[in-house]
Amino acid sequence: MLYSFLKALENRIKFEEAKAHCDIPCGIYDPITAQIPALTVVRMLDLMADLENKGGEKGKEFHNTFSRYVTVKEEHAEKAKHEIRVIWGDYIKAQHVEQYPELPALTHKIMQAGSKVRQTTDRQAAVDFVEAINQFAEIFWATKNVKTKRAKAPYAPALEMVYPEL
Amino acid sequence: MCRVIKVTGDSLSPIIEEGDFVLVLKIPFFFLHRGDIIVFRHNTYGLMIKMVEAVSRDEGTVFVIGTHPFSTDSRSFGPVPKRNIIGKVILRIRGRG
Repeated sequence: MLYSFLKALENRIKFEEAKAHCDIPCGIYDPITAQIPALTVVRMLDLMADLENKGGEKGKEFHNTFSRYVTVKEEHAEKAKHEIRVIWGDYIKAQHVEQYPELPALTHKIMQAGSKVRQTTDRQAAVDFVEAINQFAEIFWATKNVKTKRAKAPYAPALEMVYPEL
Repeated sequence: MCRVIKVTGDSLSPIIEEGDFVLVLKIPFFFLHRGDIIVFRHNTYGLMIKMVEAVSRDEGTVFVIGTHPFSTDSRSFGPVPKRNIIGKVILRIRGRG
């Protein structure tokens, strides 16, 4: 209530600002940078399945396209892991872990799930990878006191994703 | 004596978040202690908000830090002289939650 009052007042008067300053543009953390690559992994697996089921000659065109899908799957699985590691290392603090004690195990689970989706073509493993990162996103936004919602991604594969309610 | 200040930046997260308002009270240097959140003026960065890590009564300075690993604070710009201290945060008004 007091905050709402001050926000309303801010339209009329300019408050002084004090910087909680960092060396780099810190504070720009968003797990969507991991969620989208994880979703891409599922998409690549679907494209690989489509290509395989299409039939026809398995010549160099087939292998070229298939290899490209595999490469993107590899890259995006690693990118998702990287983005989670950055949030874990730079943003998550001891207070967050105290508040959400499941966070270390969840982060480790994401690392392992990310490796599994690189090693295999198991679609369910990739869906589990997306879901684990969704759970990470829910905790991340909760640490910022931002509510989240679940909605289907507006592109294929239309899996359920966690979005902040801003 | 008492002023409302808006916080920008995340170096004190999760204690104080970007967009929070804080109520800052001018208090005697003697009453500052480790763990206090203070607002002070810096020649290069302007008005800053950080946490007191240590108070040097003899030298009349405080060593301030942020909670973020990349925080710009006394680890890079040295201790803050008491004449630059605006006051201590006595109330945090959170943006969310």
